[in-house]
Amino acid sequence: MSTVVRIAGSAGQGVQTLGDILARSVFRSGLYLHGEMSYHSRIRGGENTFTLRIGESPVLATEAQADLLVALNEEMLVVHRPAVREGGVVFTDEEVGEPGHGAVRLPAGRLARDELKLPIAAGVILLGAAARFLGLTPEVVRAEIRAAFGEKAEPNVRAVDLGYAHGPAGTPRLPAPRFAPGDRMLLTGGQAVGAGAIAAGCRFVASYPMTPGTAVFEFIAQHAAQHGIVVEQAEDEIAAINMALGASYAGARALVTTSGGGFALMVEGLSLARMIETPVVIHLGQRPGPATGLPTRTGQENLLFALHAGHGEFPRYIVAPTDPADAFYLTMKAFEVAEKYQVPAFVLTDQFLVDSYAVVSALSPTRVPVEEHLVPVEELDRLGRYERFAVTRSGISPRALPGVSEKLVLVDSDEHDPYGRITEDLGVRRAMVEKRLRKADGMREEISPPEIYPAGSLRGKRVLLGWGSTYGAIREATERLGEGYAHVHLRELWPLRTEELRRVWGEAEEVILVEETATGQLGRLVGGETGLRPHRFVPRYDGRPFTAEDILGALR
Amino acid sequence: MAELNGEKYLADVEIAWCPGCGNFAIRKSLARALAQVDLPPHKVVLVTGIGQAAKIAHYVNLNGFNGLHGRTIAAAAGVKLARPDLTVIAESGDGDLYGEGGNHLVHNIRRNVDLTVIAHDNRVYGLTKGQASPTAPRGYRTRAQPAGSPSAPLNPLALAVAVGAPFVAQAFSGEIERTADLIAQGIRHKGFALVNVLHPCPSWNRVQTFAWYRERLVHLEERGHDPTDRAAAFAVAIGSGEEIPIGVVYRTERPTFADGHPVLAGDPVGLRPLPSPEDVRPILEGFL
Repeated sequence: MSTVVRIAGSAGQGVQTLGDILARSVFRSGLYLHGEMSYHSRIRGGENTFTLRIGESPVLATEAQADLLVALNEEMLVVHRPAVREGGVVFTDEEVGEPGHGAVRLPAGRLARDELKLPIAAGVILLGAAARFLGLTPEVVRAEIRAAFGEKAEPNVRAVDLGYAHGPAGTPRLPAPRFAPGDRMLLTGGQAVGAGAIAAGCRFVASYPMTPGTAVFEFIAQHAAQHGIVVEQAEDEIAAINMALGASYAGARALVTTSGGGFALMVEGLSLARMIETPVVIHLGQRPGPATGLPTRTGQENLLFALHAGHGEFPRYIVAPTDPADAFYLTMKAFEVAEKYQVPAFVLTDQFLVDSYAVVSALSPTRVPVEEHLVPVEELDRLGRYERFAVTRSGISPRALPGVSEKLVLVDSDEHDPYGRITEDLGVRRAMVEKRLRKADGMREEISPPEIYPAGSLRGKRVLLGWGSTYGAIREATERLGEGYAHVHLRELWPLRTEELRRVWGEAEEVILVEETATGQLGRLVGGETGLRPHRFVPRYDGRPFTAEDILGALR
Repeated sequence: MAELNGEKYLADVEIAWCPGCGNFAIRKSLARALAQVDLPPHKVVLVTGIGQAAKIAHYVNLNGFNGLHGRTIAAAAGVKLARPDLTVIAESGDGDLYGEGGNHLVHNIRRNVDLTVIAHDNRVYGLTKGQASPTAPRGYRTRAQPAGSPSAPLNPLALAVAVGAPFVAQAFSGEIERTADLIAQGIRHKGFALVNVLHPCPSWNRVQTFAWYRERLVHLEERGHDPTDRAAAFAVAIGSGEEIPIGVVYRTERPTFADGHPVLAGDPVGLRPLPSPEDVRPILEGFL
């Protein structure tokens, strides 16, 4: 069970700030929550909503229906009211809407103007009223207001108090705290990718801003000075990935963060990364395409693009986190796999995951070991001749940095010999192709198997198959469907572990792919590797994230 | 003598350039420039793109990053930002640096990363067999431009001065010593240095031949040109169309990308040790 609060307003009315404060207040009160930001591609105006689901146990999906709507203007009242559940409540300003709409109409605008001389604080007054209605203590909300507004906090603290004074108390109130302070963390997927990159020793980020990849870029930029990371806004995505490869060649663990259209420009650089066997991590925050598509919306349309992008043949590593905790650990792992195998690694997220808050178990930076994968300098000094692309059984060649010893390091986008010199020797060409492809064998061993819920036999069950950020919605739907249903989820997608998937198809009564695409890309990927096809497909491709209701509705 | 000629920088490998190509001379000039500044080969990274000129990475004894067509300067900037302790030279042809890579040229001049860019400017695409390059004159006829190139040539010197490159020079490949000296000045100069090296392409360019250049070269030093005077530098860069200026066109001091940068002022990020779990705890505590 969850309580859903939706704050709706136009861009510029502070929906994100109000949502953040409410989410943090609920988190501080020891309750699980999921906070989803949804917005139009506009700087001012349009429609912004923050949907907060408060639960007694972890919440990882959003919901269309709301129990409490805070409408910051007339238009939002009209648009979002139909999604208020029966018995739900609407808070709005007394100057908004017609009396008789049945909403709780508060004098927020008048109080903000007359008492506070700060008209923009009307939203904070409504926030205070909502907080009281939910049963949050004013102390908790005041503390979050102070944290958010800093020196400008006092009028906003008064605004919260006015909201408490004028708003009604609600029933039922929120449940008792479920966790103690310090046991859980509240963060977005974008923050988690950024923190994971920093924890993995990322030292260089070059990117061109593009929603939703920018959230990661900005997060790392904020922490770059303390953590010794060079962050540069490139002139274009082509520059970004080539700069990242130059930096990686020179020893800096490197990240680029973008979305589909930006990644399209990076594809040539991706092939270069593969040919020069230089690690790079690509955070690809998906949004619906083709082309510019729906710039601020969500989708899972780039799985096959990430998998197939680039000319020539060479392995890559692709992960798709389910929630912010997963995003932290898988980003760390992406750096480690990229460094160890000297391959490009993808962290495939989407707007929903990047922009959504979730409460997760406290993150531990020791869970993914961060290790050096370079040839030690003493070893280099002992070598006669250093071969950057020496042919090995694992396919992994000894990687050294330029300038740390007298050994020269030469990399080339042309086919090259073990030293790195350009070659058209067809025997050398074959050996190099085979050496590079052999890396996939080792990488496949590092991939964790798909998660199966409930654990155990799938015999006779209908399996909901998914990947990435649809995890929460699918899990919720599976739990509600109960007996006879199971949830199989992939978070490390490439190289594909086929043996577990064969088991799923072998035991299950039916495999139902749930994916935010129109064509079922995971089904095509698995089909291409195994010949196994999903029996049914539940799509969503309107740019909004899946809810459990959507999945239940499609299956009923 | 071997020391001054910089032979230790030259690889003893088979070279796949056409006989008579200006690239041979530029290779010699590069080696002599490195001997002048006396850098150990392993402290230099030569970043090249694609094209005949870009093959030079294979013909020298230096660290090398032979990347993609047009992306030479972008990759070189990445190397330098990760490793300010290394001398980074970006070297490629006019098609690479001025055509496909024009955007990176402009923006890395803005960034003023401490790079030395050596442009092999023969006004023609050699590797793809003779099409007009961005510096080819209007009306230049090739198999791809049978009616003559309809576009005006790009003026790399004027462009570089206009965007604010702190060191802009032009050389002629036939003058090995002078070219070496200009490259060495470029390496010593703190910030983005462009050395545009004109060179004949005996295979494709039948207009701008050795003799054609010899008739038009003008040495700026002998003319008393003041390279610190920006207006004079523009005048030289734009030129009369009759004379070809050789020498330092413009030289100034400008803050580099690294000056005052909160991270680049410290140890090179490419050499920093991996973080410990403790290092990331302050960030994680922010989520509590």
